[in-house]
Amino acid sequence: MGRFILRRLIVIGPMLLVVVSLTWGLIRLAPGNFYSGEKKLPAAIEKNIREKYGLDKPWYVQYGRMLANTVRGDFGESLKYPGTSVNSILAATLPVSATLGVLAYLLALVVGVTAGTIAALRQNSTADYASMAAAMLGISMPNFVLGPTLVLLFALTWYWLPPARWEGFSTHLILPVLTLSAVYMAYIARLTRSGMLEVLRSNYIRTARAKGLSEREVVVRHALRGGLLPVVSFSGPALAFLISGTVVVERIFALPGLGNYFINANLNRDEPLIIGIVAFMSIAVLVFNLIVDVAYAFFDPRIRY
Amino acid sequence: MRHKAGHRALAACRALAATLALAMAAACTSGSADSPYFGKVSPPAGQEMRYISGSEPESLDPPVSSSQPDARIMMALFDGLTEYDPKTGQPIPALATTWEANDDNSVFTFHLRDAKWSDGAPITADDFVYSIRRGLSPALASRTAYMAYDISNAQAYNEGAVFARDRVSGAWVMDPVNTAVRLALPGDEATRTKALSAPALAFARDKEYVPVRPEDVGVDAVDAHTLRFRLRQPVPFVPKLVSHQFFRAVPRQAVERYGDQWTRPGKIVVSGAFIIDVWRPYDVLILKRNPSYYDAGMVRLDTLIFYPVEDLTTMMNLYKAGEVYATFNHTVPSSWVGQVKRYKDYMDAPELATESFVFNTTKGPTMDVRVRHALNMAIDKEALARFRRTVKPTTSSVPLNMFPGYPSPQGDPFDPARAKALLVEAGFRDASGQYDPSRFPATEMEIAYNTSESNRSTAEFIQAQWKQNLGITVSLRNMEFRTFLQTRSRLEYRGIARSGWIGDYMDPFTFLSLYVVEGGDNGSGWSDERFVALLNRANRQHDPNERYRLLAEAEKLLLDAQPTLPLYNNATNYLKKPFVKGMWANPVTMHAWKFVYIEHDPAKWDQVD
Repeated sequence: MGRFILRRLIVIGPMLLVVVSLTWGLIRLAPGNFYSGEKKLPAAIEKNIREKYGLDKPWYVQYGRMLANTVRGDFGESLKYPGTSVNSILAATLPVSATLGVLAYLLALVVGVTAGTIAALRQNSTADYASMAAAMLGISMPNFVLGPTLVLLFALTWYWLPPARWEGFSTHLILPVLTLSAVYMAYIARLTRSGMLEVLRSNYIRTARAKGLSEREVVVRHALRGGLLPVVSFSGPALAFLISGTVVVERIFALPGLGNYFINANLNRDEPLIIGIVAFMSIAVLVFNLIVDVAYAFFDPRIRY
Repeated sequence: MRHKAGHRALAACRALAATLALAMAAACTSGSADSPYFGKVSPPAGQEMRYISGSEPESLDPPVSSSQPDARIMMALFDGLTEYDPKTGQPIPALATTWEANDDNSVFTFHLRDAKWSDGAPITADDFVYSIRRGLSPALASRTAYMAYDISNAQAYNEGAVFARDRVSGAWVMDPVNTAVRLALPGDEATRTKALSAPALAFARDKEYVPVRPEDVGVDAVDAHTLRFRLRQPVPFVPKLVSHQFFRAVPRQAVERYGDQWTRPGKIVVSGAFIIDVWRPYDVLILKRNPSYYDAGMVRLDTLIFYPVEDLTTMMNLYKAGEVYATFNHTVPSSWVGQVKRYKDYMDAPELATESFVFNTTKGPTMDVRVRHALNMAIDKEALARFRRTVKPTTSSVPLNMFPGYPSPQGDPFDPARAKALLVEAGFRDASGQYDPSRFPATEMEIAYNTSESNRSTAEFIQAQWKQNLGITVSLRNMEFRTFLQTRSRLEYRGIARSGWIGDYMDPFTFLSLYVVEGGDNGSGWSDERFVALLNRANRQHDPNERYRLLAEAEKLLLDAQPTLPLYNNATNYLKKPFVKGMWANPVTMHAWKFVYIEHDPAKWDQVD
């Protein structure tokens, strides 16, 4: 087990360098520059800017500098926001995205697993169809439809909740968390249901029932552990994406998270910021996948590394 | 069994759908149709203004950021020599109380008032000299440095150029084109040697080459309260120009102490009515009043809050819910205008902006001036304006009715018959001499624009007009903004490309100077020495009417050559709660925040202030 984790951790380094190198190359291919605007700049001003940011150096010098920055974990200064370091932007926005993502994930997990389990236990009942219909709706309705609909109802019609903005832990969080978690809730409910259905028909559950365990104990102690495996493998990438910023929800609700910065960094050709955020996201995905693999061993005693 | 199950699932779906539909219907019908105001109207308890300012500020260092949303914030923090009049946008006294020009508009003198920085130090003419030299320094790499290029030697300093001096006599080599200024040569030796190899510059060879120093720039502190600009050519609109953020003084003491961190809360030193209290990027920027401000008694607001929000619908939601009291310009989405325009919140005023397209005059059918005229005449701009709802049609480049006394020349009227006649003349005719659309190489043209809902609908309108009036089908091509800019400036598009322009200062010259090739770039490939000569003659005039006449003559020349396809003048389009007073819809949508206040008495909300 220890060796498995170590091996996986070592791979993260080279993987990261490949990802940032590809990203860096793609930025080069995109036309335009961070300083281009509606009126073309006089050549001298363009030259001043290129010199200031080292863009006049050969490509391998710029590439080397980017790699060195990545290895040191200090991505330098943003081009769009002069005087602001990429690291400080990450430090300020990550807590926002992470709060949102973790809350949305927890909500999705609680509601999804509960609904999925009930649906599996009462297969083909009204409760099953209702929850699966709701899940279908949740999967099919994109968050840029759900978010504005919730805002229209709760913020602009009944004036119960604020329509947007970030105020830390407050009622401002309710609508974005709901919007964000809907899809995940739906997926988790469906995954739980199918996982549970399969497990409930398996031999070891029949054995547990034959031993005379109560239905509650059969479900909670034996069935859920196996039935949740699909949810676990779904959770790794889901959590990584949730905490590293969700562009649409952060934009609709004007939240100061990583996703908002990421989309703008791309539109602005803000190279250091793009590299910084991509590096962070890749690490998050790699680490969460590792956690998931380790968690498998806990959920399914048959898995060994 | 299966059948029954299907029914149940369907019933569950129906129930859900019905609930949702009911809720939506409730939401849609609940708009209070009888209120003259949009959404919730509840003023704050105190004097607190909440404003949506647009994207997150790039920087609050005046010469560093080039964006207009940032300039609005800087107006609260830094006073200029002059300030934009809150009603007209014309210059009014700020840190300078009076100013005067010499006979040919080439030297301007500004007289400063007694004022203090927020740290108690006096604001002097030296602060302005320092700030303008800093703004021009190549190391700062300001994107708006070109705003000051008319100051003597400013461009040479910003370009890192050198002057040439005779090795024996020590006399400077002067510019043969403008003998009032020294000749500036490239600072880089290889480039200079190449430039000097041209026969026209033979007289500047074998000299001593001296780098241009900051002290060479034509800004001087005559005394602590007198600032003088020496210009390389006549520029009558300097007082309008110096309202721009590039010319606002920065506090030398803070800049030298904190470097590029000097605008952070706790470090910043300001000259304006407000100072930064809290700055959380992408979240909020809170300003409080500056007690050291020279006009502090006039300032009514205690707190001024800027929210960076980018999504238009989100802004409208925040506004409707009463969480913010005003939004920045062009924030009401076109799909909302019809509904929102009837409320008193909607701010509609003529704007210093012209929306147009440019022709690529270097390739394809649009090389022919007759084709350009024909394409222009075949667009019904009145109809376009009705379709766009918020704009006024125009056939000119300089916005109409914006500059009293400026005799705006008219471009081509809408005239499909003449358009066809011109195309016949240009050779697109059949054997019998009739207009033949199939001869027109429409496939060698396209309508290029940067991706946005609004640009697309304008482009589609043009496409439809040409099809309807000329029988030609030109395809659309949309591009991501920065890709588009590059394509346009390199003249890599075919046919026409979108080219809106918002004026930098309240003068027709800001629109005409786009077509002077040096400095500006218009993306058409067109240039004309006669046009440049007319502009230069105009700027030497002291009589404003004569100057306007010459500028209009230049504009007529531009419209005759038709590198541009003017469509309409924009109008302001934003929302403001009735209790926010002292914030008028002006042509530049720049608001001097010291005039803004919250009126708590509803009886006074509708009074004109």
